Amino acid sequence: MPGIRGAAAADVLKVGIIHLAAESDTGWEADQKRASDAMEAAFKDRLKTTVLWNIFPPQDNERLFRQLATQGNKLIFGTSFSQYAILKKLAPMFPDTRWECCAGIEATDNLGVFEARAYEGTYVTGIAAARMTKSNVLGWVGAYPVPQVIYSLNGFLQGARSVNPDIVLKVVWANAWIDPAKEKDAVAALVAQGADVISGSPNTPVQALAAEAAGVWAIGSTGDFSNYVKKAQLTSFVLDWSPAYIESVQATLDGTWKPTSRWRGLGEGGFCKMTTNSPELPESVVAEMKAAEDAIVAGKLHPFAGPLKDQSGKERVAAGAVLADADIRGMNWLVEGVQGNLSNGG
Amino acid sequence: MIDQLLSILVATLVAGTPLVYAALGELVVERSGVLNLGVEGMMLTGAIVAFAVVAATGNVWLGTGAAMLAGMALSLVFAVLAISLQANQVAIGLALAIFGTGLSAFLGQAYVGTALVAEPSALGGLVAGLPLVGPSLARLHPLVYLSWLLFAGVWYLCRRTRAGLVLQAVGEAPAAAFAIGYPVIAIRYAATLFGGAMAGVAGAYVSVVYAALWTEGITAGRGWIGLALVVFATWRPERVMLGAYLFGGVSMLQLFAQGQGVAVPTELMTALPYLATILVLVLISRDSTLIRLNVPASLGKPFRAET
Repeated sequence: MPGIRGAAAADVLKVGIIHLAAESDTGWEADQKRASDAMEAAFKDRLKTTVLWNIFPPQDNERLFRQLATQGNKLIFGTSFSQYAILKKLAPMFPDTRWECCAGIEATDNLGVFEARAYEGTYVTGIAAARMTKSNVLGWVGAYPVPQVIYSLNGFLQGARSVNPDIVLKVVWANAWIDPAKEKDAVAALVAQGADVISGSPNTPVQALAAEAAGVWAIGSTGDFSNYVKKAQLTSFVLDWSPAYIESVQATLDGTWKPTSRWRGLGEGGFCKMTTNSPELPESVVAEMKAAEDAIVAGKLHPFAGPLKDQSGKERVAAGAVLADADIRGMNWLVEGVQGNLSNGG
Repeated sequence: MIDQLLSILVATLVAGTPLVYAALGELVVERSGVLNLGVEGMMLTGAIVAFAVVAATGNVWLGTGAAMLAGMALSLVFAVLAISLQANQVAIGLALAIFGTGLSAFLGQAYVGTALVAEPSALGGLVAGLPLVGPSLARLHPLVYLSWLLFAGVWYLCRRTRAGLVLQAVGEAPAAAFAIGYPVIAIRYAATLFGGAMAGVAGAYVSVVYAALWTEGITAGRGWIGLALVVFATWRPERVMLGAYLFGGVSMLQLFAQGQGVAVPTELMTALPYLATILVLVLISRDSTLIRLNVPASLGKPFRAET
C-alpha cells in the first residue's frame, strides 16, 4: 500500500488496542481480551502492547486513537462497530499506521476490518434448540436490531427449522447492549409465551440464569455461560478473534500487511468456535450438530440457502441460490417463522 | 391466559420496585426543599456495595443495610456541600451522579460478570398458600413488600403527621419555620440522608434481587427515572406509586407485545413506558394551580439562618 513501510524485523512492534467497555470475564470484551492475550503470547517481546479499557465513544475514543498513533503504535485495533466511523476518519491522517477495526464495515487504504459470521454458529446451536424444545417455540432476546443480531437470530431459526419446520422463534428486543434487569424481564416474557429454549444477543450470563430459574433451556450465542448455571445451558459458541489479531501482527512484522475485509465463521482459523455441550444433549444431537458444522465449513451447507422466505412470506432467495454476503451483512428482514418486529416493520 | 396476566403483574411489581424506593426517598428530600439530582449515583454505589456484601456473606439484608449506609454516606457529602456550605444544589447533585457512577464502576471491577445465587425468601412460603395468586406472589422478594410499607409510611408522614407539616414548612418557607423554632438545617440533613438511604436500597434491589448479576451501570438510568417521577407526580406519594408501577407495567407489556409480534417498531415500544408514564401523570396533574401549590416553594434554594 502507498505510504506503508514494513517494520524492520528487529524492531519491537508497538500495538494499541481500545475497548469501549470495561474489562470483563464474559461477553464481547472478554472475547477480544482472549484474542489479544493470545496475540501477546504468540509474539512475546516482539510486541509492546498498549490496551485501553472503558473508553466512551466518540470523543475520548478519537482523542486516544490519535494519541496511540502519534506515540508510534504502528498497528492499532478498534474492537467495536461503534469505533469504525472514528477510525475511518483517522486512518487517512495517519497513513503510516495500520488500522484494524473489529465489526467495521469495509476496508479502506490503511484500515482493515474483521467480523464473525455468527449465523454459522447460531445455525448449529439452532439444531440443538430444535431437538430439545417441547413447545416448538424458541425465544430470542435481541440487543438492538442491527444486521449482526438479525442474521444471528435468522441463522438460529434456520438451523432449528432444518430439523423441524414447525418451529417458531419469538423475538423480544431489549434495545440495550447491557441492561441485565431488562434482559431478565424479556426472558420472563418469552417463557410466559411458551418459549422453552432461550438464546439471544446481549451477552451477559443473565439470560442463562433467568432460563435456569424458569426451568427452560438456554443457549449461549457468542458467549459460554456454562460456568454460571448448573443445568440450563445446552450448548454455545464463542467468538475467537485470535486469528485476526495474530495474522495482522505477523503480516505487519513481515511487511506484508494489507487492509483486508476478513469475515469468517466456523472452522480452522475462523472467528466462531463451538464450545461446551451439556451432558443433557443426546449423542445423536451432538453428532447432528457436528455434521452441520462440518458441512458449513466444507461449503456444502449455507444457512441462508434458497428457497428462503421472509416473515411476510415473500421469497428472498430462490431455490438453488444462496444469499450474497453483502445482503447478509446488511440483513434487515426476518426469516419466515420469526414472531417479532424490526423498526422498519419488516 | 390468567397465568400470563399474573406473570405480567408480578413482573410489573418487580420492575416498579426500584423506582418506588428511589422516588419516594427523593420525594421526602425535595419536600424539605432540597433538590438532590444524584439519585443515579447513589443508587449505583448502593448497588455495588450491596452486591459485594452479598457476594461475600450471602445475606441480602446485610447487603441492603450496607447499601443504605453507602447511599447515606454519599448524600452526606451532598448535604455538607449543598446545605451547610450552600453550594449550587443542581451542580452538586449532578457531580454526585457522575461521581457515584464512576465509583461504582471502580469498586465493581472485580465483580463484573459475577452472578449471585438466588435464595428462596422466607416470606415466599407464607404467601404461597394463597389461592390463585399465591405462587406468583411467592416469587416476589420481601423488599417488594417492604416498599409498600415505605409508601404507607411516607404517605402517612406527609398527610397525617405534624412531622410531615414541619417537613413541608421547611421546604416551603424555611425562614418562617426557622423563626418559629424548627431546626431547618438539621431537618434538611435528615431528609437528605433518608433519600440517600432509599436510593441505596433501590440500587441494592436492582443488583442483588432484580438482576442478581454485576455489570457496570447496572441501574441503566432508573435513578433518573425516579427523579423525573417525583416531578411528574407533583410531589405526591400516591402518584409516585402510580407512576412507578405504570412504568414497570408498560415496560413489561411492551416486552410481551413484542413476543406476540405486534407490528410496532421496537424503538417505539421501548419508548412506550416513558411516554405512557409522562402522559398519564401529566394528565392527572394538569391543573397548573395545583402544581404550583404542590411544588415545595423553596426547592433548590439554600437556606441561611438570619439571626
